[in-house]
Order: sequence, then structure tokens, then C-alpha cells
Amino acid sequence: MEPEAAKALAAGIAMGVGSLGPALGLGMLISKALESIARQPEVSGDIRTNMFIGIGVTEAVALYAFVIALILIFVA
Amino acid sequence: MKKALLSLWLVLGAAALVALAIIPGGEKEEHSVAAEFDLHPIVELPKLGPVDLSITKAVVYLWIAAAVLIVVAIVLSRTIKPTPSRFQFAIESLYELARDGIVGSVMKSGQETWFPYIAGAFFFVLVSNLIGLVPLPFAEHNQLGFYAATANLYVTLALALCTFLFTHYAGIRKNGFVRYFRNWAPSSAPPVLRQLILVIHAVSEAFRLVSLSVRLFANMLAGHAILGVFFAMALIFQSYLAALALQMGSLLIYLFEIFVAFIQAFIFAILSAVYIGGALDQEH
Repeated sequence: MEPEAAKALAAGIAMGVGSLGPALGLGMLISKALESIARQPEVSGDIRTNMFIGIGVTEAVALYAFVIALILIFVA
Repeated sequence: MKKALLSLWLVLGAAALVALAIIPGGEKEEHSVAAEFDLHPIVELPKLGPVDLSITKAVVYLWIAAAVLIVVAIVLSRTIKPTPSRFQFAIESLYELARDGIVGSVMKSGQETWFPYIAGAFFFVLVSNLIGLVPLPFAEHNQLGFYAATANLYVTLALALCTFLFTHYAGIRKNGFVRYFRNWAPSSAPPVLRQLILVIHAVSEAFRLVSLSVRLFANMLAGHAILGVFFAMALIFQSYLAALALQMGSLLIYLFEIFVAFIQAFIFAILSAVYIGGALDQEH
């Protein structure tokens, strides 16, 4: 395999596989948060704030994969 | 009558779509999305050691963000009224979000001390993100183009470094130098385990710097890259029909990016508040 092709393939796989886990995590996180808001609407403000913190932390994992893909394509 | 009009519109719309599909598009153009993020000096300045002081696109965007914030603050403070205008109400809601939603809901103590920094970071990141969605003539050959200062790792790293330094400054000032670092590990743990926890905590502190900066940078970069890919695809497909569909797609992405700009500013500010609050009120 040519190095360029390997780089492109590696970047694609990094992005695809790397976003799989965060996608599952975000789905779980938001579904649980909505469930708790439905159960206890009076604390929806607190839950929403903490949900956004969780989203930020979970999402960062996918973005690391994105940065690795960028590095593979443009820097490596 | 109404039905006839509706069918007429449908036929006209279908005819327009077919015409768009048949008309041959313009010449195929190459467009590199990555080139949009290259920084070329606009004004060349001498190097100060290893630091290049040249004014680039990112510097200009930072100036614009600062100028917008200063102008908004001055205008608002001069025209402030008990019955708010729409503009005043919008800014007041954001201020309230920063005070009650971010600082008030996360920090237990030191709210008055650290509110200015966290609100400042929130507004600066928010304005920088939103300015990235306004086409400004700083692309190649002074064409209109999208770029955000926060889509640059050095900018977000500087912001994250501020939070990092303030976190430890706040913790050391409140708890004292030795006690602050001793509190990183629970005092009830056995000695060897305690040292291990200390190392793990130190690594996690360092990684906060990485995650805080890379999160903001990668979010803004990804958003702009997707917008750029949609525009570039419209140039590659030689068909007006595909271009129309892709422009619709880029419109949706654009609307989503406005949401992301708000969410990322909010997350940056709230994580700063969480980190600083955690250093002030240590758990162990």
C-alpha cells in the first residue's frame, strides 16, 4: 500500500471508530438526563447544566479522534 | 381553483428542478478546505526570538472580537434603562446565564472573586465563535471567507492556560501552598497508594489543559471544515441541482453551528467554573 493511501485510510478509520464510543455515550447520557427530567421536572435546571458538562466531556473524546485524523492527513 | 394553483406550482417547481438538472454547470474548480485555515501574515513584523509577531488572520479576528465586546459594553452602559430595550434584554439574559447558570450553580465560594474572569471568558469565546460565522474579507485575495479565532489551537490554548493558572492560583491562595497539594490525595489512604493517587491527580490536572483547549478548537474547526466541504462540493459537482441541494445542507449546518457556538462558550465557562470551584473547596 502506498503511504498516502494508508494515511487516508487510517484517518477515515480513526474518525469512524473513534466517534462510535462517544456517540453511544452521548445517546446514553442524554436519554438518562431526559428520563430524570421527566421524573423530576422541578430539578430540570440542575440536570440540564450537568448534562451539558457531561456532553462536553464525552464529546471531547470524538474530537480527539478528529484531531488525530487531521494530524494523519496534514502533518504526518 | 386552489387545487389548480397548487398543481401549477408543483409543475413549475418540477420543471425548475429538471431545468437545473439539465443545464450544464460551470467549470470544475478545485477548492482546498484545509487552505482556509492556513495563516499568512497580513502585516509582516520582526521576530522576537522564536515568537513571530506578524499580524495574521487570527490576530485580526481576536481584535474584532475584543472591539465588539468593548463597543457593546460602552453602548449598553450609556443607554441602560429600567425598562430594557430588546438589545439590553438580550445582553442581560446572557449576563444572568453567566452569573446564575454558570458561576452560581457550580461554585460554592469565591463567586464574587471569580465571576469577572468566568463571565469574561464566556463572552469572549461566545463573540469569537459567533464572529466566525460572519463572512469577513480576510480570505485569500481579500475574498469573503469564514474563519474563527477559536478555530486556532494557539488561541484556545492561551484561554485554557488562563483557566489552568487561575485554578492553581485560587487553590494555593485559599488553602495555602502545602495544604493545597496535600489535599490532592485523601489523607485516609495508605502511604504508597496516596503517592499513586497524587501522581494520577497531577496527570489529570495536566490533561484538563489539553481537553479544555482541544475541545473548543476541534469543535470550531470541525464546524468550519464541514461548512467548507459543503461549499467545495458545490464547486466539484458540475450541476446546479446538486449545488442547490448542497447549499440547503450548508444552511442547516450553519444553523447548527450557531447552536454549537453557544454551547461551546457555555461549556468552556462552566468547566472553568468547575475547575476553579474544585480548587477552592477541596473535597478531601
